[in-house]
Amino acid sequence: MKALLSKEFKLCVHPALFIYLALILMLLIPNYPYLVSCFFVCNGIFFCFQQARENGDAMYTAMLPVSKAQAVKARVWFVVIIEMIDVVLMAGMCAFSLIPGAMPPTNGGGTDHGLSLLAFALVLYAIFNLIYLPSFYKTGYKAGTAFLKSAVGVWIWIILSDGLMIATNAIMESGLDIAFFRYIHENIDCMPKTAEAWTVQGILFGAGLLLYVVCTLLAAKISVKRYEKVSVA
Amino acid sequence: MKILEIKELRKQYPGFLLDGVSFDVEEGSIMGFIGRNGAGKTTTIKSVLNLVHADGGSVLFEGKDLWANETECKKQIGLVLGEFSFYKRKKLKTIAAVTKQFYPEWDEETYQTLLGRFSLDPEKKISELSQGMRVKFALALALSHRAKLLILDEPTSGLDPVSRDELLDIFRDIIEDGEHSILFSTHIISDLEKCADYITYIKGGKIVVSTDADSFKDAYRLVSGEAESIERFRDRLIGYRAHAFGFTGLMRAEDAERAEGLKVAPADMESIMIYTEKEDGHESAAQ
Repeated sequence: MKALLSKEFKLCVHPALFIYLALILMLLIPNYPYLVSCFFVCNGIFFCFQQARENGDAMYTAMLPVSKAQAVKARVWFVVIIEMIDVVLMAGMCAFSLIPGAMPPTNGGGTDHGLSLLAFALVLYAIFNLIYLPSFYKTGYKAGTAFLKSAVGVWIWIILSDGLMIATNAIMESGLDIAFFRYIHENIDCMPKTAEAWTVQGILFGAGLLLYVVCTLLAAKISVKRYEKVSVA
Repeated sequence: MKILEIKELRKQYPGFLLDGVSFDVEEGSIMGFIGRNGAGKTTTIKSVLNLVHADGGSVLFEGKDLWANETECKKQIGLVLGEFSFYKRKKLKTIAAVTKQFYPEWDEETYQTLLGRFSLDPEKKISELSQGMRVKFALALALSHRAKLLILDEPTSGLDPVSRDELLDIFRDIIEDGEHSILFSTHIISDLEKCADYITYIKGGKIVVSTDADSFKDAYRLVSGEAESIERFRDRLIGYRAHAFGFTGLMRAEDAERAEGLKVAPADMESIMIYTEKEDGHESAAQ
């Protein structure tokens, strides 16, 4: 597995991946839907799959002393590492909000910096992995089709989660006092400051992480099963 | 001892059937795997190595189920599927550094020797190599991890005659110790005449014959005669070519012995394959 992972990072990384990872700096833009930066990382992962495909990676790997299952698992780990790097970078960027005056008090464009944002990012990657990986390994080469399908899932999630936060912000600013939105505004769509907010966001983050692990394991299992039937040509 | 045993290998594609392919590779020998384009050579090799999921059959490597022990068995197999055409923008040294991580038995000294012998510059990119040099690079990788069995699919097809001859010498050197073996698929039959101990001939997804090279050639004779005698021998001729002065064809050795009035000569592998492949049994050169 170590050798396979080393191969992934030495041969399969597309240079654009670094640019897309650097777009984490978008978290410094005031009033912006920050989850979009995760979609760019998904795009970077898609570029790596394309780079591998165009360079005959499937055949090169099949010639090495590894099974198809090992090859798929290594690629899944490769994706997980990239996504985890992004989540860690995201956590670092969220810390900016702890500096007084560094960011506006609320994010009118989407989810605020905080553990909720990390939780939503984990759900986004869970959706991406669950759709993209099994779809790609059905053929072993249709990276574009798999990406289009996963992009639909990812964007539905961005619109739902960031949409809810935008709506919350709009309603709170309009002066309407609806308990549901006030609760979101005070405990979820914010950098946690109270014990309750930390607890709620901690639970959200834990749930997001659990969903990410379950979806990625499921994606890996389906991908392995599907790729066994694929002829490497 | 048999290093590789292929039994009743089956793979169905739309319009093509690999139909119960069975043959063995003996330790310390070179097995030539011949057949025309599309006969099933590459499909057989890919099925053996689980690159293609076979519909049926079994493959034993040193008596062990190769598919069940894929990782372990593949460490002892060197595979060359034509030229090295992966990651063309990467340098040879990068590819080698990645590849050698997979082989605990990697022999750096052998690898460096082969780079020198093949005049391969590790600083060059794959894209900067000619087709022949890419084949040599693939061979250098395959030969550097002390593989017991080399499986080579068309390894000499893109090489010049001098390089091909050089490679055939290397192949003979490899098997000299009696512990290494080579399965060598090609349609360049003359290469096999020089080095193969055994021949397996595949046609339309089925094995025609798998035997030692001498028996393979001894089983056939080239015959030639007057054009008028074609009709008399037609049912015994495997294939023939009519020309202005008569005909030349192929017969089984026992039929040729009883064929009076025909000139009989030993058959070479290329002629055996060419005449066997003539689907309608003959071809007229006069047309």
